[in-house]
Amino acid sequence: MPRNPVILALFCLPAALIFLLFFVGPFAYFVVMSFWSVSLFKLSRNFTFINYIDIYTDYLYSLGYTFAIALIIGVITTTLAFAFAYLIRFRAGRLGTLLLFVTLLTMFGGYLVKIYAWRTILGTTGILNTGLEGLGLIDEPLPWLLYNSGAVVTTLTHFLLPFAVLPIYGSLRGISEAQLAAARDLGARSTRTLVDIVLPQCQTGIIVAFMLAFFIAAGDYVTPRLVGGTATAMVGNFVESQFITALDAPQGSALAVAILAVSAGTILILRAVMHRALAPR
Amino acid sequence: MTSRFAQAVWVLFGVAAVTFMLSPLILLVLFSFGQNSLASFPMRGLTVDWYGRLFANADFRVALKNSAVISVSVGAVSVIVGNLAAFAIARLRRRHAGPLLAAATLPLMMPPLVLALALLSAYSALGLSLGPSTVVPGQVVFIQPFVILVVYARMADFDETLLDSARDLGASPLQAFFTVTLPIIRPTVIGAALIAMALSLDEFIITYYTIGGGLTLPTLIWGMLRRSVDPSINALATLILCATVGATMLAIRATRYRS
Repeated sequence: MPRNPVILALFCLPAALIFLLFFVGPFAYFVVMSFWSVSLFKLSRNFTFINYIDIYTDYLYSLGYTFAIALIIGVITTTLAFAFAYLIRFRAGRLGTLLLFVTLLTMFGGYLVKIYAWRTILGTTGILNTGLEGLGLIDEPLPWLLYNSGAVVTTLTHFLLPFAVLPIYGSLRGISEAQLAAARDLGARSTRTLVDIVLPQCQTGIIVAFMLAFFIAAGDYVTPRLVGGTATAMVGNFVESQFITALDAPQGSALAVAILAVSAGTILILRAVMHRALAPR
Repeated sequence: MTSRFAQAVWVLFGVAAVTFMLSPLILLVLFSFGQNSLASFPMRGLTVDWYGRLFANADFRVALKNSAVISVSVGAVSVIVGNLAAFAIARLRRRHAGPLLAAATLPLMMPPLVLALALLSAYSALGLSLGPSTVVPGQVVFIQPFVILVVYARMADFDETLLDSARDLGASPLQAFFTVTLPIIRPTVIGAALIAMALSLDEFIITYYTIGGGLTLPTLIWGMLRRSVDPSINALATLILCATVGATMLAIRATRYRS
């Protein structure tokens, strides 16, 4: 293997070019555009804060809603993922490999396919309602299963769960059984072992899992569109409609930059909080 | 008693979690073979009519061809580019490799909608016409990090004394690469290629905005979802599921990828 720095740099060049030309460049243009404006369908390249002021007056509610729902999805997904990863690592024995395999399979099961599947399950003529009717458990379909925040949370949790299980499982693998046995022999209850030994050692995995779930949920727009109702429009839906229907790309990009900034800020604060909460006492 | 109770709770949780994860996908496959025109119980019997209808659809054949071309191109480009970068990063000290890897994986943190609209705005500002050729780089941007991570993980614990001995015995650097390095990392490279192709085949948002009205399998699903209730969506979704899951299973076998 070459160690010459010039050759190493040459090896990285294609990846770096793609990264700069198709990621950094377009995103920088996107951010700059959020300070432009549109009048009479013409882009005006004069620097203005008007789009951000409009967010404050018009989109504060939707920003708050998106933030809240992403937080809920992040917490539920991370909790379930931790329990499942813990099951794989410590409780399932030889079945653990099989559970890990299920996780990997569902990870690549398809984004649109999963959202579509939940829509066919939860609808009034869907699988769940007709199934329950067939069993005689309900007399008429339950209309509240689909087209609301609950359906958005269920669908996104289902999509994100495998992505959250893997990093947590990765850090649980590093915990030695000997430590757990020692804690048990010294008389520690299982909750105390969890808080003092397991959680501090899988901090990184938990934080990565939460970040992933929170970021993807906050930026999603297809799920609320397909399984959410009229009241569940998330920031992503407004970003899309500004770009595609209102043809006000600057306003759309300002909204996107705002939700990215809110997400990044939240992650930084949460990371500090979790760092403290998960530290050994 | 408590431990038996705890054990029962864990079994229950495990069953519930696996049901939650798998049942939507299993039901989808099941109803793609059902005679019902709506996915609802009771199922009226089995048929492959929806698949027949799908293959008779001209849009489907266009979408299939586009998806195949795009996913093979994305797979090839991201594997070549990602491998070169992963080799180079694996040669660095860990202290330098960490930040580089973190930077390389930044596109994974970006919501696909933002990446898609940023690319769309940049393309239209540059006056490029949209089509499968503008989709490929947009997908490579977020797929190459996966390749870099998978190959880097393998290269980081590569035994370099093997290469030294090949060189001492008189092999040229290229010979050493083809006779020593490549056979060792080949499974990882194949696995990374399959994962890249599966991700590309399934990608919807970036593709939708940068293909300029063209069709791929996911954008075809999107169109069908918005137009009407058409049970051949189940068949199409099942085909995408089989392709991505099949590629992933092969990749897991090839790389013996755990965690």
